[in-house]
Amino acid sequence: MTTVALEITNSGWVTTFQDLGRRDSERRGVPTGGAADQHSATIANVLVGNARGAALLENLGGELALVPDADVLLAVTGAPAEVTVAGAPARPWSPLFVPAGQEVRVRADLARGMRTYLAVSGTFRAGTLLGSVAPDPRMGFGQLLAEGQRMLVDTQFRGFRRGFEPPLFRLPVPVPHFGEGAWTVDVLASHGTDTIAGIRELLEESSYLVTPRSDHVGLRLEGPVRHPEGDTEIVSQGVPIGALQIPHADELIVLGRYRSLTAGYPIVGVTSRACLPLLGQAGPGRQLRFRWIDRETSLRHCAQRDAEVGALERAVVEAFGARGFEAPLSTTNREAILT
Amino acid sequence: MTTAQYGAITVEPFGDSAAMVTIPHPHQSARRAGIIAFRDRFLAHRPHGVLDVVSGLESLLIEFDPLRIALEHVAYAARLVAQWAPSPAEDLPGARSVRTFAIPVVFDEETGPDLASVAEELGCTPTDVVEAIAQSTLTISLLGAAMAPMMGGLEVPRPLRRRAEPRTDVVPGSVMLAGTDAIIQPFPGPTGWRVVGRTPHTIVDISRPEPVSFAPGDVVRFVPVTPDAVAAREAGFLLPEKEPT
Repeated sequence: MTTVALEITNSGWVTTFQDLGRRDSERRGVPTGGAADQHSATIANVLVGNARGAALLENLGGELALVPDADVLLAVTGAPAEVTVAGAPARPWSPLFVPAGQEVRVRADLARGMRTYLAVSGTFRAGTLLGSVAPDPRMGFGQLLAEGQRMLVDTQFRGFRRGFEPPLFRLPVPVPHFGEGAWTVDVLASHGTDTIAGIRELLEESSYLVTPRSDHVGLRLEGPVRHPEGDTEIVSQGVPIGALQIPHADELIVLGRYRSLTAGYPIVGVTSRACLPLLGQAGPGRQLRFRWIDRETSLRHCAQRDAEVGALERAVVEAFGARGFEAPLSTTNREAILT
Repeated sequence: MTTAQYGAITVEPFGDSAAMVTIPHPHQSARRAGIIAFRDRFLAHRPHGVLDVVSGLESLLIEFDPLRIALEHVAYAARLVAQWAPSPAEDLPGARSVRTFAIPVVFDEETGPDLASVAEELGCTPTDVVEAIAQSTLTISLLGAAMAPMMGGLEVPRPLRRRAEPRTDVVPGSVMLAGTDAIIQPFPGPTGWRVVGRTPHTIVDISRPEPVSFAPGDVVRFVPVTPDAVAAREAGFLLPEKEPT
């Protein structure tokens, strides 16, 4: 095991430590939080041989740049981005070998997606709150990374046994499509869907615009909505991530991973789990359209996603093994993945 | 062994990875107490694949991994728990017992900018409001945003309204009211609740492995103190009253 220092030479607009979120914290009033685009975060980790939920970096806007003081294996995923290593173009959604002292630069195309993820083979030394490195600014846990900051990673990566030529590997990477036009979001009806007459048809026929007032608590959308008749009693309740909420104002909110209890606003639908990563990439100006699907279809999409990640995990273990690099996947982990 | 005193539960799907549990009882107090009892039991008998739960005032959202457990099994497990599971406080070894808190609060114009308007709404004096708060025995019903303890049982003549215009930056430790509930603000932030006082204690400390000392079901009393009494000593992290040994 060696410890590598990565110095941030450019932090972009907002770069934080991140992971897949807190476990078992919502029953104590702390939202799970974690990567807005869980799929991209997962794949970045898998591509460097880490566990799916390992700590990594999440960047929003600007250009992220860093320099390791020893050879590292890293991967960049998320929004379509220009990636360079030592000034030469490099591939996102692929393991990248970065020699000591060379700079990695990542600049996302914000017109296509909001966030990029950078995972490094190994374990980031980062503070945790309730077992997770995910930021929770509301509780004073910002996890913001600044220019000049040195991050430490404990890694077992010491280069590959044989040489390499780019591309390093051919892996079955499930890269999402970040299209130019409107994105389609699958939603499931919930018990609130029928409390507002005509909302089902309205949501399906209309187009909604992501506004700049959106954040990790929710995407605030401009577009036609309807309100329930009469006053509903305000009783605070928990709501799932991806819930479509209509507040008193004429807007639609899609709740994100940092949502808290909601106070009686009608929930007219819930985003399919498989579409949540897409919402995590939707920035101001993005057009969204909603499509109703049933539970079975939604679960089939989830299972498909999960199978793709599993297939990639197996391919990575085999490819790395063939190059004489088995760590940091533990033996048990490897067995679980290969069987 | 005790059986559930709250009777039937309703389990409704909520998206593809969550289910909402409510108790169809005509009385609000039964719904609220029942959901806390159900939550404790469900967590003590948590089925494989259930990831977390979110407490509402009268509901429990169960979040699960749909690739590891089906909605039907979550619903079945929830009904079994509601019908048969013993109360964890009475029957499970190592279960957490109810803690009681006596929380000192300064109630004045500076710490409680909404005290006067609450008094006006109730048609009494600010002193009467403070008296009513001090006379109330509250029960923590859930931990709200950022682990804020939300509690019910405020003895006021009628439910209090929220502020029409939410406050944007309320200081930590603020004691706030809405309906017949009270909540303590752990971190600076916005709120629509009515701010009536402030405790000098730290409610949530994220540098601790256990950032809070309270849990749903715990009992709280507010004890009015003077600003001078607060200034005289270091309040520190909020801890429960010493339990009799």
